[in-house]
Amino acid sequence: MPLDTSTTYPLTKLRLDGRRWNELRLLQAQISTNPASSGSSYLSMGNTAIMCSVHGPAEGRRGDASGAGGSAGAIVDVEVNVAGFAGVDRKRRAGGSDKQSSRIATTLRSAFQSHLHTYLYPHSTISIHVSVLSADGSLLAAAINACTLALVDAGIPMPGLLCGCTAGMSGSASTPRDPRHDELDPLLDLSLPEEQELPVLTVGTTTSVPVGENNMDDEEGDMKVAVLTMDSKLHYTYIETMLAVGMDGCNQIRELLEGVIKGSSRA
Amino acid sequence: MMADRRRINGPPGGTRPAVFASNSQSGTGATTRAQRQRQPSELRKIFLKTGLIPTASGSSYLEFEPSASLAAARANPKSLIPPSSALKLACTVHGPKPLPRSAAFSPNLVLTTHVKYAPFAARRRKGHIRDSSERDLGVHLETALRGAIIAERWPKSGLDITITILEAEDDRWWGDAPDSHDASWGMMNVLAGCITAASAAIADAHIDCLDLVAGGVAALVSDESAGSSAAPKLMLDTDPAEHRSILSACVVGYMPARDEITELWLKGDSSKASLEDGDKRTGHEALIDGAVDAARGAHTVLAEAVRESLLSAVGQL
Amino acid sequence: MSNQRQASSASQVPHLSPAELSYLYTSLSLPKSSIRPDGRSPTQFRPLTAETNILPGTNGSARVGFADGTQAIVGVKAEVEKTVLSNETVDARSEFGISEDRGEQEGSAAVGGHGSWVQMSIEIPGFRDDDALPVFLSEMMRESLVGAVGSAEASDMTGGLKGRLVINKRWHWRLYIDVLLLSQPLSYPLPLLSLTTHLALLSTKLPKLKSQGEEDPFFDDDWAVAEYLYPRVSLSSAKHSARSPFVRPPVTLLVISVGENIIFDPNREEIAVADAVLAISITRDSEAGNLKLLSIRTVDPPSRLTQPGIPNSENVNMLGAVASTEDVAVLNPATGEEEVPGVWRPRRGGVKRSVIAEMVKTVLKKGGVGEEVLEGLEGVEVS
Repeated sequence: MPLDTSTTYPLTKLRLDGRRWNELRLLQAQISTNPASSGSSYLSMGNTAIMCSVHGPAEGRRGDASGAGGSAGAIVDVEVNVAGFAGVDRKRRAGGSDKQSSRIATTLRSAFQSHLHTYLYPHSTISIHVSVLSADGSLLAAAINACTLALVDAGIPMPGLLCGCTAGMSGSASTPRDPRHDELDPLLDLSLPEEQELPVLTVGTTTSVPVGENNMDDEEGDMKVAVLTMDSKLHYTYIETMLAVGMDGCNQIRELLEGVIKGSSRA
Repeated sequence: MMADRRRINGPPGGTRPAVFASNSQSGTGATTRAQRQRQPSELRKIFLKTGLIPTASGSSYLEFEPSASLAAARANPKSLIPPSSALKLACTVHGPKPLPRSAAFSPNLVLTTHVKYAPFAARRRKGHIRDSSERDLGVHLETALRGAIIAERWPKSGLDITITILEAEDDRWWGDAPDSHDASWGMMNVLAGCITAASAAIADAHIDCLDLVAGGVAALVSDESAGSSAAPKLMLDTDPAEHRSILSACVVGYMPARDEITELWLKGDSSKASLEDGDKRTGHEALIDGAVDAARGAHTVLAEAVRESLLSAVGQL
Repeated sequence: MSNQRQASSASQVPHLSPAELSYLYTSLSLPKSSIRPDGRSPTQFRPLTAETNILPGTNGSARVGFADGTQAIVGVKAEVEKTVLSNETVDARSEFGISEDRGEQEGSAAVGGHGSWVQMSIEIPGFRDDDALPVFLSEMMRESLVGAVGSAEASDMTGGLKGRLVINKRWHWRLYIDVLLLSQPLSYPLPLLSLTTHLALLSTKLPKLKSQGEEDPFFDDDWAVAEYLYPRVSLSSAKHSARSPFVRPPVTLLVISVGENIIFDPNREEIAVADAVLAISITRDSEAGNLKLLSIRTVDPPSRLTQPGIPNSENVNMLGAVASTEDVAVLNPATGEEEVPGVWRPRRGGVKRSVIAEMVKTVLKKGGVGEEVLEGLEGVEVS
């Protein structure tokens, strides 16, 4: 019997790594891991491990600042490097970055460029360096979380924590959803084998009010989606479920990250 | 990076052609391994001439005399495969010229070295893009030359040194199994040639130097006729094709006037050297001294070539 | 930018003024007792933190961090690969009945391994893969790794690392060593990278082989029985050489000379005033227990690219303000050049042979720096 989610999940209601549909993988994080940078973080979600370091805000390189965007506020510069040993097979890298890492870099750049209060730092550059040490699914989501932690560590003002999470469906979901007879479950925080096989979307959300000032009543109302990417094919009737699950995962992750930040400030 | 779509690339895996080395070995004994016929401290002859490329501000051409066995084999060919190769390289120097506007300010002359094998230089074809060994050679060469050039006399200027290797030294005898050893001993001879040729070209370009840097190679070779038990011997200017087993080798860039080494690259096991009785030197010291002696030999040729080019320049005036 | 990259074989030149450089040089070159900016003794290394086996997805991994925040992570991955040997040659020769002697030589690649089976790539932020610095560093470290051939005593490591990678005549391991520097190098990154690689290789495990002889290899699924790439000798056999319990990968040390002093593990400021920079690779000879030299390479000292200072006698602004007697050039015994004391001159020329010999001796001698470093590394728990 092939070991994949779409055949085993309906029988056991357990995913390949033994999680239920709404469970996150073990999330461990640490900030201020690298004293040489302005801010740094280490984050692992299951077997996905990412180190992130932030330099700046600092004066940009010559030539960069000549652009019109440079004068108004800080430019966020993201570099993503997937280590050769990150995957199962050692990947041959030819001449720097590949498609996947440059896509993640572009998404991160646009997300944080609009998320951070860049207007406070005109004529400067905030450079973020993301190293993927071990890749096991949800790379973009983990990178968003790691960047958020590193930026908090660097003390760069932002309205709320930007947290990312993935959500998928437990089958190919190509036919319209039948609300009375739901066969497919949405899945939270996908690992690499699930990600390769099932439809998946990555969602990143943020709150507009700083941490701690949240009123419990309208917490839901404050939620903003900052990142949303999906490249798999899926019937549109499922999107809403997946999005809801993903955003719920973001909330869980936000609580975990807040714990990390508060825990380290006490120490 | 994506695959190069502008060229038609071969299949990625590729196959290896059969090497019928043994055919030529049957009976005649024509292709026995070349034997070194020089004394241990005798160098090969070097041909060095400067100023061959009129468009460059300085240039030189260097050629090592082929080993005696090669000359014999060429005169009386028994196999289509040349038994050994000898170094041939050309060096051009462009500059000093102003640095590009975008470059950062430099109070000194900025040296850029490019070492490139011609595709046909070695027995195995080299690609057009520089590989890591060529870049490595470039760094070695840069280190060797930067120590000699008086760089602060040209602030904000750049100097490009380009070396094209037309024929490279073999790393091993061609009759040995292709994979019998992979240490690139031939690369060290190439580096020594590069250093000598480049300093001739720099002198030809009238760049101020402390001294002419000459390159020299020495190696510890275990003598095969005496069996493996015999202690390795020190030889100067080794041709890797002539020896079965080179234990360690050393290349230096050396300035005789100051008795200083600008570049040193030593590798291999030098601990078992057999030196004469009463010689207190350790293996690596003897190896470095040997390489320096080889470099002194190359320096005489270098000085003569530079003097020749100077005299011809004076004659033209 | 590209020009700077090309030239920066010895890391970036820090922006120190000629006066600072001169001050550093003077304090470092004090006869017999150099004063280092961070108060270390000439042979003392910077404190570091190290951990191994941090990445479960690799065969072996290590992280080393210096106190100044520079960190390196090394991951080692091994893959099984078919040995591409010119089998045709072998067959043809045996048909023609070539002497045994030659036949032995044929198989030597299958027995002795091949250096290209060890691949090394170094990732340094701000540099491209094919820039001079990463290429030079990886060639330097790979050369000593591949070159270290063990003695006959150590059963599994007879052919050194590359011999260990041979599975049988047709199959072998290919080892990928990926070095990741997590921040822009603050000093010449060689010591950091070398130590991290050393630890990562020590913690590297290969799955236990279940097939025998010339069969196509298959391996035990149980990771718990996997064998170390650098095998540990059992306690009983280690007794006779208690000092070196098992074969260890080589280490590369960075040594500089300033004046007549020899200084180890230089930081960025120290290397900026060095007269000569040498990278020396050593390993422990498992037979005799003493140290063995594997390779030496000169590294281009950044001091050659620094800005010179101007003595008062040549400074127009100071004209007449200073008595000319203050600016007498003195012969510097280390460089053999006339220098005005306290005025920085970029280094020129090379290094004397005696200095090289002294550097190597300091590393190799009994109780020397090499032993100290290896003993320090042996203290790191490798799980």
